[in-house]
Amino acid sequence: MTPGPRRSRRMERLADTLSRWGFMAPAFLILAAVLAYPILYTLEISFSELDLGTFMPSEWVGWDNYETVLEDERFWHSMKVTGIYLAFAMPLQMVLGFAIAFLVNADWRGRGVIRALFLIPMVIAPVVAGGLWRMLLDPLWGISNWFLGLVGIGPLDWFGDSTLAMATIVLIDTWRWTPFVTLIATAGLLSLPRDVFEAAEIDGANWWVMLRHVTLPLLVPIMAAAFVVRWLGAVKMFDIVLASTLGGPGRATNVINLFIYQEAFRGLKFAESAAMSVVVLVITMALTAVFLRGSRLLEQRY
Amino acid sequence: MSASRHARRRRALRLARIWGGVLACAVFLFPVFWMVLTSFKESRDIFTSPPKLFFTPTIATYTSYLRFADVPGRMWNTVVVAAGSGLISIVAGSMAGYALARVPLKGARTIGTLMLLSRGVPPIALAVPMFLVARNLGLTDKHITLILAYCTFLIPYVMWLMRGFFQALPKELEESATIDGCSRFGAFFRIIVPISLPGLLSTFIFSMILAWEELLFALVLTNRDAVTVPVAVASIASDMLTGVNWGALCAVGTITVLPVVVFALAVQKWLIKGLADGATKG
Repeated sequence: MTPGPRRSRRMERLADTLSRWGFMAPAFLILAAVLAYPILYTLEISFSELDLGTFMPSEWVGWDNYETVLEDERFWHSMKVTGIYLAFAMPLQMVLGFAIAFLVNADWRGRGVIRALFLIPMVIAPVVAGGLWRMLLDPLWGISNWFLGLVGIGPLDWFGDSTLAMATIVLIDTWRWTPFVTLIATAGLLSLPRDVFEAAEIDGANWWVMLRHVTLPLLVPIMAAAFVVRWLGAVKMFDIVLASTLGGPGRATNVINLFIYQEAFRGLKFAESAAMSVVVLVITMALTAVFLRGSRLLEQRY
Repeated sequence: MSASRHARRRRALRLARIWGGVLACAVFLFPVFWMVLTSFKESRDIFTSPPKLFFTPTIATYTSYLRFADVPGRMWNTVVVAAGSGLISIVAGSMAGYALARVPLKGARTIGTLMLLSRGVPPIALAVPMFLVARNLGLTDKHITLILAYCTFLIPYVMWLMRGFFQALPKELEESATIDGCSRFGAFFRIIVPISLPGLLSTFIFSMILAWEELLFALVLTNRDAVTVPVAVASIASDMLTGVNWGALCAVGTITVLPVVVFALAVQKWLIKGLADGATKG
């Protein structure tokens, strides 16, 4: 009749487990309800027909929605547009961001102010950024074309020509996000061990050797981290396009998020939109996993 | 000889960096400056070529447009939603971040990876089901719906930032607390939280900024009563029929941006450290 100690030990262990998971529970429960459940619901809708009377999935249609979507050239066009945007904007922002970080970290009295001012573009709401640049780039009254006119260029129709419109999107996005890359790069540059550089300099290493064998290996993990963070933001591209080109001219800048949004909430094609979301979700997740993996490997190598 | 040349070259490089930095800063800030300037122009001063730098400033755009488009009401909605989602996320997210950083948990690594991956979920994949569910539950156009929707990206974000923050704290903190007879929760709330207050505060402010700027969920889940400022900006900017009212766009843009810039500058030291740590210690 003495199960006391044993039970109390078991109770203790239970209490311990509970208290450990207790920290995780609130976030877990909320995310299960508002993140995991909607994703599962999207999956269900993507295999169903959506009844617009009740706004509920009605009939199971198998892969029909996916077939419709994958045969829709507008979908592939938007994927291509998104790919082009990413292929130009990301490298541009990485290079500019790190270059500017190198500049703003010159040691002088005004460094703190400059660094603080550089925060401003990155807290401007993207939708404001899009609208604001639409004004600056206006073909008739915009100040950009006036500036360019001074040096004999233009006037450029920033929103009328499809190639130029894509360049415009990349430009606005780069303006909004480069300071973010600069910020991460700044922190990275500041954390570089100074003594390594001094030692290399004393050893008489020239700048190329310094760059190739000292700076770059130290910077690679930071660049990889900045790339992953920037990627996580860039795949969500929506606000800037909505406020500046609205996907135009024609469909030239209709990035995939905007396209799905229009199909769902303007065209009320919820089932097809769900199928598209699933395709985009899978591709994004796969690429994110690859990039995370890659950045880990790079970190280990250097 | 060569040493002095070396020194001269170094000084030249330093000067080039300083001026390059100042120039880059000017280029990046000019659009914001122009927006604020334009918000004080009358429309006859806006549509000019060459553009006008000097003019008689007026606050007419602010007074007329603010009343007309119910900007104060939308500001209030945005504040409620940003504060609500920021609060929930900072509490739930920092507890979970602490669990990942310090509490021995089976499968914590998997959860950590999942949480990083979830930051890549495109919001549009959530917007469609959320709209349908909210519509059927009669929850569209309500603050609480937007607050919960924003938790989808804020909680993983806070978890990820705070995990890095907690990992950097010395382990002795909890050890001494457990010796003093504190429970795990006691140690967290009485010792870890007070020490981490600056980090928690800057993460909270940054979460609020993210919520403040969000557009997609706000477009989808609100239509009249709970409309936020970004939606108002979007509707001004995408008014293709009558042409964009630039004065209004700049005025609302300035109002949207002002509080955020003030906040960001106030906590910039922590913001820079927190963000960068979070990013590099993924």
